[in-house]
Amino acid sequence: MDDIFSNLLFIGSGILVTLKLLGGGILVGISLGGALSILRYSGICKPLINGLVSVIRGTPLILQVSLIYFSMPCVIGIKLDIISAGIIAFGLNSSAYVSEILRAGIESLPRGQFEAAKTLAIPNYFMWKDIILPQVIRNVFPAMVNEIVSLLKETAIISTIGGLDIMRASQMVAAQQYEYFMPLCIAGGYYYSLVLFIEYIGRKIEKLKIYA
Amino acid sequence: MLKIHNVYKSFNNTKVQEKVLENINLEIETASVLGLAGPSGSGKSTLLRCIQKLENIDSGSIVCDGRVCFMFQDFQLFPHMTVEQNLTYAPSLKNKDKKEDYKEQAKSMLQTLGIESKANEYPRTLSGGEKQRVALARSLMISPDILLCDEPTSGLDIASSEDVVSLLKSVNKLGVTLIIASHDLDFLLKISDRIVLLKNGSIVMDIAPREHTDSLDKLKGYY
Repeated sequence: MDDIFSNLLFIGSGILVTLKLLGGGILVGISLGGALSILRYSGICKPLINGLVSVIRGTPLILQVSLIYFSMPCVIGIKLDIISAGIIAFGLNSSAYVSEILRAGIESLPRGQFEAAKTLAIPNYFMWKDIILPQVIRNVFPAMVNEIVSLLKETAIISTIGGLDIMRASQMVAAQQYEYFMPLCIAGGYYYSLVLFIEYIGRKIEKLKIYA
Repeated sequence: MLKIHNVYKSFNNTKVQEKVLENINLEIETASVLGLAGPSGSGKSTLLRCIQKLENIDSGSIVCDGRVCFMFQDFQLFPHMTVEQNLTYAPSLKNKDKKEDYKEQAKSMLQTLGIESKANEYPRTLSGGEKQRVALARSLMISPDILLCDEPTSGLDIASSEDVVSLLKSVNKLGVTLIIASHDLDFLLKISDRIVLLKNGSIVMDIAPREHTDSLDKLKGYY
């Protein structure tokens, strides 16, 4: 019983790392993804952005994480710590998917909404901020919650470069005790609880109808 | 005054270049009402969109003095904003200090249009006629000199169409030039000082219906 309790505590200590990676990844992913989708819709650097999104979506996340963590010191001479490398890798990866979600959301809006803003002489910045994005966010909100859930589960990849997250902590317990079932079940329980929490918050926000 | 000179416009479809407007020449007096008549696909809406610069013209010129505003056939109200926000958002951007004044102006405009009770409602709760009024009010809030109306009576019942006629007439009395595209000839006859008939992208008739009653049969014959 004591074993289970101490295992729960040790594996649970990885939640903080998982949440740091998730929070940072969401922040980078949504802001960069938003910027990419607006630039792409406006026709600015479209081929470059299309290429970037295609490469990010077309290569494994574990490769991107390893590339950023292990090859950055050789390429640009900067040695990143595991969390920063993870946030950059997960953020970049997520931004490609977020930009695709937002692109679909923007393209699903009637062209007349852009034209109505133009005829009322609303400047571009305000058109995006107050007219287009509030409608797009409302339309793509469920897909964004899915993306956050996916990102949470993908943060487990950080364990491959030594990040002490939930997954890595459970592997350490398993290696120490030569027993895989219980530690992995505990890790699964933590991930599943976090996913349920994110979905709960998502549903609450949807019900608030803050976007009318 | 709005001057349209030798306007040519085409759309590039997959392989062929489709002509939509050709050799359009018009001079529209300030505070007049011009009706653009013609069957579907004759180029009425495209001409309005070119005047508003929502479409680029291939050649020719469109010169207008003053502010132009466009009232869309499907209204294009902002669905996430209340009726009042739809009205006050654009003018408030230009003059943030006057936000309260614009709210008052919107309130009195909605009162004039008989929909003051809808000020805090969202567009999805409004009927077609109410949306039409809100769209008109939103256009008027930016004090346009020229108002372009694309099929303002489409989808409205007879009573609502009559309301639109009287509303647009009162807008015109304020000195706003109206250019109205509609396939409803009876509606245009009620409101227009001058009717221009478009067919296949060209002007085929240009008459003042009140002065040339004899031309009306010819005009109707084109339909």
